Amino acid sequence: MKVPVSWLKEYVELTLPLDELARRLVFTSCEVDRVVRRGVPDVDGNLGHFVVGKVLEAGKHPNADKLQLTKVDVGGGETRSIVCGAWNFGAGATVAVVAPGGVMPGGELRIEKRKLRGEMSEGMILSERELELGTDHAGIMVLADELEAGTPLADVLPLGDEILEIETLYNRPDLTAIYGIAREVAALTGAELKPPPGVDPPRHGDEPFSLQVDELDACPRFIARTFRDVTVGDSPAWLKARLTGAGMRPISNVVDITNYVMLALGSPLHAYDADTLRGGIVVRRARPGEELVTLDGTRRELDVRDLLIADHERAIGLAGVMGGENTEVSNATTSVVLETANFEPLTVIRSGERHRLRSEASTRWEKGVDPEAAELAARYASQLLAELAGARWTGETEVRAELPQPAPIAYRPGYADEAVGLEITEAEQRERLERLGFKVAGDWTVRVPSWRVRDVRRDVDVVEEVARFRLEDVPATLPRRQAMFGRLTHEQRLRRLVADVLVGAGLYEAYTYSLQHGDPDPNALELPEPLSSQQRVLRTTLATGLLGAAQHNLDAGNADIALFEIAHVYLPPGPVPEERWRLGGIVQGDFFRAKGIVEAVFEAVHVEPTWSRVDLGPELIVAAAVQSGWVGTYSPVLSLDGEWSAFELDLAELFELVPERIEYRDVITFPPLRQDLAFVVDETAPAGELMAAAREAAGDELREVRFLSDYRGEQIAPGKKSLAIAVVFQSPERTLTEDDATRLRAAIVKTLGERFGAELRS
Amino acid sequence: MDSLAAVDWTAYETQATAAIGAALADSELEDARVHWLGRKSELALALRGVRDKESGMLLNGIRGRLEEAVQHREQELRRLAYQHAAERGVDVTIPGTPVKRGRLHLLTQIRREIEDIFLGLGYEVWDGAEVSTVWENFDALNTDAGHPSRSTLDTFYLDDDTILRTQTSPDQIRAMMTRKPPIYMVSPGRVYRRDTPDATHSPTFQQVECLAVDRGITLADLRGTVLQYFRLLFGPEREVRMRTSYFPFTEPSVEFDVTCFLCDGAGCAVCKHSGWIEMGGAGWVDPDVFRNVDLDPEEWQGFAFGFGIERIAMLRHGLPDLRAFWENDIRVLEQF
Repeated sequence: MKVPVSWLKEYVELTLPLDELARRLVFTSCEVDRVVRRGVPDVDGNLGHFVVGKVLEAGKHPNADKLQLTKVDVGGGETRSIVCGAWNFGAGATVAVVAPGGVMPGGELRIEKRKLRGEMSEGMILSERELELGTDHAGIMVLADELEAGTPLADVLPLGDEILEIETLYNRPDLTAIYGIAREVAALTGAELKPPPGVDPPRHGDEPFSLQVDELDACPRFIARTFRDVTVGDSPAWLKARLTGAGMRPISNVVDITNYVMLALGSPLHAYDADTLRGGIVVRRARPGEELVTLDGTRRELDVRDLLIADHERAIGLAGVMGGENTEVSNATTSVVLETANFEPLTVIRSGERHRLRSEASTRWEKGVDPEAAELAARYASQLLAELAGARWTGETEVRAELPQPAPIAYRPGYADEAVGLEITEAEQRERLERLGFKVAGDWTVRVPSWRVRDVRRDVDVVEEVARFRLEDVPATLPRRQAMFGRLTHEQRLRRLVADVLVGAGLYEAYTYSLQHGDPDPNALELPEPLSSQQRVLRTTLATGLLGAAQHNLDAGNADIALFEIAHVYLPPGPVPEERWRLGGIVQGDFFRAKGIVEAVFEAVHVEPTWSRVDLGPELIVAAAVQSGWVGTYSPVLSLDGEWSAFELDLAELFELVPERIEYRDVITFPPLRQDLAFVVDETAPAGELMAAAREAAGDELREVRFLSDYRGEQIAPGKKSLAIAVVFQSPERTLTEDDATRLRAAIVKTLGERFGAELRS
Repeated sequence: MDSLAAVDWTAYETQATAAIGAALADSELEDARVHWLGRKSELALALRGVRDKESGMLLNGIRGRLEEAVQHREQELRRLAYQHAAERGVDVTIPGTPVKRGRLHLLTQIRREIEDIFLGLGYEVWDGAEVSTVWENFDALNTDAGHPSRSTLDTFYLDDDTILRTQTSPDQIRAMMTRKPPIYMVSPGRVYRRDTPDATHSPTFQQVECLAVDRGITLADLRGTVLQYFRLLFGPEREVRMRTSYFPFTEPSVEFDVTCFLCDGAGCAVCKHSGWIEMGGAGWVDPDVFRNVDLDPEEWQGFAFGFGIERIAMLRHGLPDLRAFWENDIRVLEQF
């Protein structure tokens, strides 16, 4: 919210420098984004260059059809010739003039004496927009004739103001009003808060008005005031300046008044052209098929849950959100119905969501408006309509439910200390609460003001009201603990270990999205309303995201790509899927590169992998299953160029296999005997199974079996292969002899011969 | 006896010693060793035939001295080799043999750093499920029905009761429901919000939340803990401040800022010339949250605070765009 400081000062005296006030509000009340100066800069006597002028002569510029050449009396017997592009005035007009040397709003442009199409121009005649007093740029500003030439412009127009730009917290709808901010400033600084603005103008008669509220739960209060003899026109400069300073666009005096009062008091208002109303106002839900063109020009199909303001025939407004075009106040309007009301937040929130529509009004209703403010707003708006639009107040009709009376809160001042860890005296607490509008009884029963009832309901909420003014003073202590227990779980430590092993193996860790464009599992959970088609399915595998990451690196021209990820997958069925920690990887290279990496992971967690061939679908041309997961090589038909292999392990499953404790094995001091053995065997015989069989056959004295080569070709019969392995025989008890080696080798040869038809090559 | 008599063992030792001492390379030394000391050398053959003690002592003495000479010469050759190398001048500026090494993602590095700080402060790490119930993510945390964070515009719903968590707080609810206080925990992990991706927004990001539940916990304990944490993360000179804020699950609620670690509070582009960097939200746990998980707020009090890991990474390393974290470009990953 943008707060013109001149406006704030109407309600409270500012006893602190503005920057200091802004700094302290940040701690106690709201974010202050910045303090800005708008309008004509007030430095180095700059305001002195802006004066009232009387146009003495005005005529066409001799060398330019679109320009006027004028002579302007700027007071003190001085006359200036000024070239001007506007034609909405002539000789005799009273205008706003800046003399050469004057710096314009924004601080960038300095007006200089210069020739325009051969004629000297000694200054500029100003428009509203140039002075940041409004948005009108159709012509220059014509001022009241009674002003004398040479009068400082600052004496007659609000030439500049400082603006506090604040952000209001969800629980502080009272700070969406200038008066509410003034109240906060008063509580912070101890300055006196003036009473809220607005005095009813004289009332002319008691016009009957048909008002019916069908939905008192959603609209517990509705006040309709009628006005006659309204003259719609421009707002005065001060009002336009205030609205523009607050970030709203001036429209006409009647609309501007409703906006001004909303900004002042926080309760949104709406003005209807009374002559366009067909028989009074009804507050009701929308009917099937009903439509409304809102003030933004959009035709909206209404939902039967939408709360409407209607007349006796049709919708005329989406309650709390936006009015309708059909009853809009125009320049021809002479009679006005003014609405102030209470709308329940959820009703407004849901309408806004359904129609993707928010407004200054709805943002206030959504947070909850002070239920007592409707009356104040009606009063203040009536006063301004009478003063600024010549309106006669002719009637008032009100429909209301019982406004809820909040229960008093039993408070204990010591609670503040218990929660905050800082002693705040009873006197300070009482004073602060009372300045904020709370009523504090002698026994510390606290009554909450109407503008805070939604937020302050319990004693702990009262604590916040006193604590927030002392946040700078809260000391820094640590919990006094009776027990300490800071340790990663077994699984968390293993996850770190696995990541570290992969990093050591040359892989880079990737973070890919949990939501993917698609998933191999047709039952994977889909978002009913995804943000985009790229992120719509909760993944059941890390492979999809890693393929994308690999592609990105390939596109970037990176070489030797090897990525891994440790993250959740989400296994159907829903609605709450089973989440599992997975390890996934993708590497540029063949099956054995990926397999080697997985073997390194298994080795790190002391699990012996068991491999078997498996079919994982057409995308993976080579694939193997291992405990807790798989390794595979992608088919070249994949869009990724080159050879790529991948793996994925379910970490919880893998970690279940991790031995609880690793038992020491004595280091053997007796010498090992090494032998290389080559077997001719059927091509289809898996090396892993042969090696496992060899291990089984030789028993404990076979210390190690290592794969050497897999050869097919010359000297080997078709359909056969030569499989070479290295074996190491070693005993923990004695030095093995050549005889031992021969015995063990024979056992291996026999077993492999029986089980696989393997023949030892000589 | 014949062979022993046929050889002049003094000359044998002299010649052998000279040959060993003259070897200029390991191979020459090995040749000399084989010739004078090897299995088929005259000395070895003679030793095999020895029958009397006197000859044995003589020949074994020669063998011992020659073996010593071989060892000595071996060391000498090694020393000479180094000396020659030094004289030739080894270009030590030539890069060493490369060792391939990958990297942990920057976000993991920072996450671990944060976890380790809290482990040191005696906190546990919880990293639970990301899909959560509306009750765990909102209701239990006191979020009223109209709060905008519940809107389908802000939150990913799987169905009316199930969402992708918008904060890691559901882990805190689960922790409080499954174990008795005292509880000191941090919950790092992925959270999801319906934000259109740009330089500073992502529909997925990593958050860490910290929860302490014990007897007599105050807002001052929160301030002290936050201060400790930021000093350990950003350096011992850091200060923190608390500003009023609003969160459904804490009361009072605050935002906390830390003095800028780039300019030490003097003002720079990173801290927008304020000297302070916004770090996250915090507060005293709302008594109603305790009631929602069947803890008695008269007995137990607590504080909670939360912040984003990406934000810390971006601030500390000057990364301008959040999306870089999800692209996994090796050229980015290898920088950290």
